Amino acid sequence: MEPSSELQDAVRELSELSGHLFCISPRPVTGTSLFVVHTEDQSFRPEYTMQSGVFGFRVPFNFPDAGPEDSFFIRPVEIKLRSPDPVRGSIELHRAAKVDGFVAESALGNVPVLIFSWHLWNKIPWNRRKHKLLDHYTHCIRRFELPEHDS
Amino acid sequence: MNHQIDGIAQIAGRLNDEMHLAADRRIWQQINEGLLAQAPNEACVFVLTRPSRGVIRTTVILGEILWPMPGEVKATPRRLDISAEYISRVLDSATDAGPSVGICLVHTHPRSESGEGVAEFSPRDDWYEQRLFPTLIVGRQNSIAASIVLGSSGDVNARAWWQSNGGVLTQNVHAVRIVGPELTIIETPSSCWTDHPDPLVMDRSTRLWGKEGRRRLQNLRAGFVGCGGTGSISIFAVATMGVGKILAWDKDIAAAQNRHRTAGITKDYVGKPKVVALKALAESVATAEPFEMKCWQDWGTTTEGLNRLKDCDIIFCCVDKLAPRVPLNDLAYAHLIPTFDMSSWIHFDGNKQVDALMTHAHVWSPGIPCAWCRETLSSRILIQEAQGNQRNIEDRAPYGMPINETDGVEPSVLPLNMLGVSLALMQFMQVALKIADRTPRDLKFFLPNWELDESDRTTRPDCECISSIGAGDTFIIRPVTMD
Repeated sequence: MEPSSELQDAVRELSELSGHLFCISPRPVTGTSLFVVHTEDQSFRPEYTMQSGVFGFRVPFNFPDAGPEDSFFIRPVEIKLRSPDPVRGSIELHRAAKVDGFVAESALGNVPVLIFSWHLWNKIPWNRRKHKLLDHYTHCIRRFELPEHDS
Repeated sequence: MNHQIDGIAQIAGRLNDEMHLAADRRIWQQINEGLLAQAPNEACVFVLTRPSRGVIRTTVILGEILWPMPGEVKATPRRLDISAEYISRVLDSATDAGPSVGICLVHTHPRSESGEGVAEFSPRDDWYEQRLFPTLIVGRQNSIAASIVLGSSGDVNARAWWQSNGGVLTQNVHAVRIVGPELTIIETPSSCWTDHPDPLVMDRSTRLWGKEGRRRLQNLRAGFVGCGGTGSISIFAVATMGVGKILAWDKDIAAAQNRHRTAGITKDYVGKPKVVALKALAESVATAEPFEMKCWQDWGTTTEGLNRLKDCDIIFCCVDKLAPRVPLNDLAYAHLIPTFDMSSWIHFDGNKQVDALMTHAHVWSPGIPCAWCRETLSSRILIQEAQGNQRNIEDRAPYGMPINETDGVEPSVLPLNMLGVSLALMQFMQVALKIADRTPRDLKFFLPNWELDESDRTTRPDCECISSIGAGDTFIIRPVTMD
């Protein structure tokens, strides 16, 4: 299964509108019908030990009838907080979890990633005739840039 | 045949083997009530149309009604004069609606002192339409126009008009489909339907739905997407009931483990395409005469499959995945083809004991909430299906829980599938033959309650099952294949 031309066009449009070069995996992740869409040059929050890296998410083969997953991922997985967060006293990114097999078959290779999971589309449901990948990306970045803890 | 009237040739063309008109029931009722109320005068109205182009059938779908303003039509019991202003306004509306949108002229032949008005195009109708339609279709090659005459007894005649190589061609319409919670098919004088040659064969069921019902089943074309646990039983049933034309799709090869829950797969058919086994079964039990079944070893929701499904009067959605339900649900509303969706589901508790099972049958047709309204379909549910053996990973991974791997094979048993099919067949009788006053919404039987429940979900006001009704080929439907 290859990504549909509509999905490939949507990724191209995302690159143009976001200013980041996104690419899509040529095959779905093993055991799924999800394609990995990622960019190598996403700026990270200043609290992180790395200033930029890989950012991506997964999109079903039947996009846009189905929207992207309610999650996104970053790499490398060694990213920490520069200083311990005030609630936990830890430098771990407790909002994210290291997962294997999440991006298998993508250009990234079968490497572990840090998954951030939220209900991004619970208030305004994904509308297949209206929403674009840029809307999902904007959702992700808005949540990504929130403080490590909702105080 | 070309008619020569007052020196103008009306050239009979052939857009497709079959030509249909179709309308949402509410639109058809508005047109009829609005026009026939003006009897004994003739009356007319323009209606926008959208095409639905199948492989052997083209359907012209009626849409927005553009009623004349005061003074735009002068009518007597024998004559109509349509003003240039009305025609110009209608042309503007069609242009604004898009290049595939055509125009239909509907007019009446009301009852008069000389008797019932007959739905026949008069020589004057021919003369007038030959002058009118070149104006209505010029420069609109993607659209199909139409003209309809309504008799006073519910009889209808119609023809399609289109532009081809600079000329204007016309083809008689064979039938008009009125689609709402039920399907009504009005035959025109050009109808190619035939009666069953031996009505006694169908005696017991004819006592329920009459000769007209028997004639309808004999000539109905039913599409089946999926020939597995539910599709095989459905095909067996409708072939037995007397449906005369069946189209079926399934890409799978019959396996030995299909035999305990799939009709028609004898030992001889193991290793052969399921559709081949089903064709042999259907031909052996069919009571319609003639009976024709065509089948394809492919997904029914490919681009080609979806085009062929536009040839169908009804569709049975017998797929075991959610993704292909999206285009089939879209097709039902946009192309006015009532579709019966059915599926079964078995749930285990933590001890691998069955704690719930369900089967359901849902009619997708204008006036009934669609799969999105019912939430059989949602983006989240489609994502979960696409997640395959990583289902719900976004809920598990952040908490350090392992991926919930499954092999994707769910239990399936014949009695549960048969119950779902039986519910769908009851709905089929209602939609096609109107055996009761009301067509139900989604019907669901479930254990452990032993309860049959009708969904109380209503149509969402912003849902595409309202906005896409009758949109035909102007509504984008995405093919789905599961390779």
